[in-house]
Amino acid sequence: MNRDEALGGVVLFFFGVVTVLLSLRMPIGTFRAAGTGLFPLCLGILLMVLSAAFLWGLRSKAKKDKGSREARPEEAGSTGQMIFFLGAMVLATAFFNTLGYPLTSFLLLLALLRILRVRSWKVTLALSFLTAVASYFLFVQWLQIPLPKGFLGL
Amino acid sequence: MFESIQHLLSGFTIATTAQNLLYCLVGAIVGTIIGVLPGIGPIAGIALLIPATFGVNATSAIIMLAGIYYGAMYGGSTTSILLNVPGETASVITCIDGYQMAQKGRAGPALAICAIGSFIAGSLGILGLVFLAPPLAEAALAFGPPEYFSLMVFGFIVLSNVTGGSLLKSLMMAVVGLIIGTIGLDPVTGDARFTFGSVSLLGGIEFVAVAIGLFGIGEVLINVHQPQELLDQKVLVPRLRELYPSLQDLRRSIGAILRGTGIGFGVGLVPGPAPVIATYASYMTERRISKHPEMFGKGAIEGVAGPESANNSACQAAFIPLFVLGIPFAPPTAILLGALLIHGVTPGPMLIGQHPELFWGVIASMYIGNFILLVLNLPFVPLFANILRIPKRMLLPLIILFCITGMFTVNNSVFDIWMMLVFGALGFLMRKWAYEGAPLLLALVLGPKLEVAFRQSLMISHGDFGIFFGRPVSLAFLAGTIVFLLFPLVRLAFQKRKKGGE
Repeated sequence: MNRDEALGGVVLFFFGVVTVLLSLRMPIGTFRAAGTGLFPLCLGILLMVLSAAFLWGLRSKAKKDKGSREARPEEAGSTGQMIFFLGAMVLATAFFNTLGYPLTSFLLLLALLRILRVRSWKVTLALSFLTAVASYFLFVQWLQIPLPKGFLGL
Repeated sequence: MFESIQHLLSGFTIATTAQNLLYCLVGAIVGTIIGVLPGIGPIAGIALLIPATFGVNATSAIIMLAGIYYGAMYGGSTTSILLNVPGETASVITCIDGYQMAQKGRAGPALAICAIGSFIAGSLGILGLVFLAPPLAEAALAFGPPEYFSLMVFGFIVLSNVTGGSLLKSLMMAVVGLIIGTIGLDPVTGDARFTFGSVSLLGGIEFVAVAIGLFGIGEVLINVHQPQELLDQKVLVPRLRELYPSLQDLRRSIGAILRGTGIGFGVGLVPGPAPVIATYASYMTERRISKHPEMFGKGAIEGVAGPESANNSACQAAFIPLFVLGIPFAPPTAILLGALLIHGVTPGPMLIGQHPELFWGVIASMYIGNFILLVLNLPFVPLFANILRIPKRMLLPLIILFCITGMFTVNNSVFDIWMMLVFGALGFLMRKWAYEGAPLLLALVLGPKLEVAFRQSLMISHGDFGIFFGRPVSLAFLAGTIVFLLFPLVRLAFQKRKKGGE
């Protein structure tokens, strides 16, 4: 059985369960006069049925393939790098209003470029600074988009 | 017919104003760049640029956003031919023979035939749109809630069947999209659903956040997760020795272009990722009818001309269900539907009558846009290809900054950025677990319409489900749905029987 696919199926099944449980807290009504919860309730049940059928299919397939399957090679991806990358975006979003747009964009670019191992500090600093300045002039000054000013007031 | 031509001419007067020409040009250029860049496709590209259209009227906005859509189709073929890297999924097939032609020093003619084929197909596709849309809109006026419900169900099933992966997985994604679409206010009673007391969720999940998250951030995260050596891969852009195709090339391509146009237009009218299917169908057709099928895969110009024409023609045809029924059958047109709604225009059978300037102006601009792309693509191909010389390590952070800025500008809300990040992480997991994002996005956009149609139908029939089967058009769509649902099972049974026989 493909573990990734199965994991996805299990997550979706539980998403269906949660949807059903939350829908049952709302008025259901009848098909003639549907309440707020009826449509999501139907969808939750449908998702549970579909994911159960999917998992069942994977199980039967795995039984058939038993013994004949070769181990799947692990992908040599950089999970740590990806998590740091996502983490930098989360931090930038969390401090977006406080730091303001120009400073956030500069720090975010600096962090992302370092996470992606752009070796030279000079290149990293120059690229982050120039991009932050260029995007500030493009979005804030020229297009007049009300982006957060932050404590710098820019 | 004469009326349509008259309307089209008036559309040209709208499309040729200085402002609209500028938006068309910007859309075509941005679309080409988006098509060239492997990290970002037309869906995220259109979604990102919606905020840039807030200050202009709906017609100019859609002219630019539509330009991005078909511009991306052009741009995608450039990288397919030069580098064997499809800029977007509809260009995968072009890699086969296009790259082989480039390897033999014939990149110029391959690119030129792409541009010429796309121009012819786009132009003929627009003619189809002009003559087919008004009568279809009139017919669609007779559609009631049951017909709309059945049509949308049919759309989901067909899309799920043709997205390439497992039908069950695609259906699950569509249902997840429908569930996410129920977040916010109930469209009938106005009660809050799944908002957990959050005011930000009352308006529902912002579809732009889902689109940029799944297709922009998710794609970047997949790239970041790649092994280091892939981030360092050097891109070598070949020199273009000859740019224009010979007379013989043109003679060999013209049939493929016309057949590709027909196939693309037909496929574009039905639900699904039309440009992708159209390119496959056109390539298979060309190979089957060719006198030299052995040349396919080794640099046959027909293998470039046919699919490239098909994908452009499919793009134009995909506008028919969007404009006429108000139902997008593919994710890029779903994003355009969202953009229309943001600008206060509700597409549907009444659109042509209520907003003729928008409908005919956009159609005329597509024609101009195709011409701009033809002029733009041939001489500037090396320039666009050079964008790929920017190392991925530098490009990916820039895309992220653009996504965050673009997302904030939609509603000036940090909450939307959070949503985008959540869907970005989800998009990454979906790609890793091999789940399709397209059915989810389409279902999210169509969800509220589907629910309203479902509930209104049952109100009309006093709770009797027979209403969906008792009306001929609705019955036809449901019968089509069942055929598409049973098709994989029948095929499986047939294959088993064949194996047994052997």
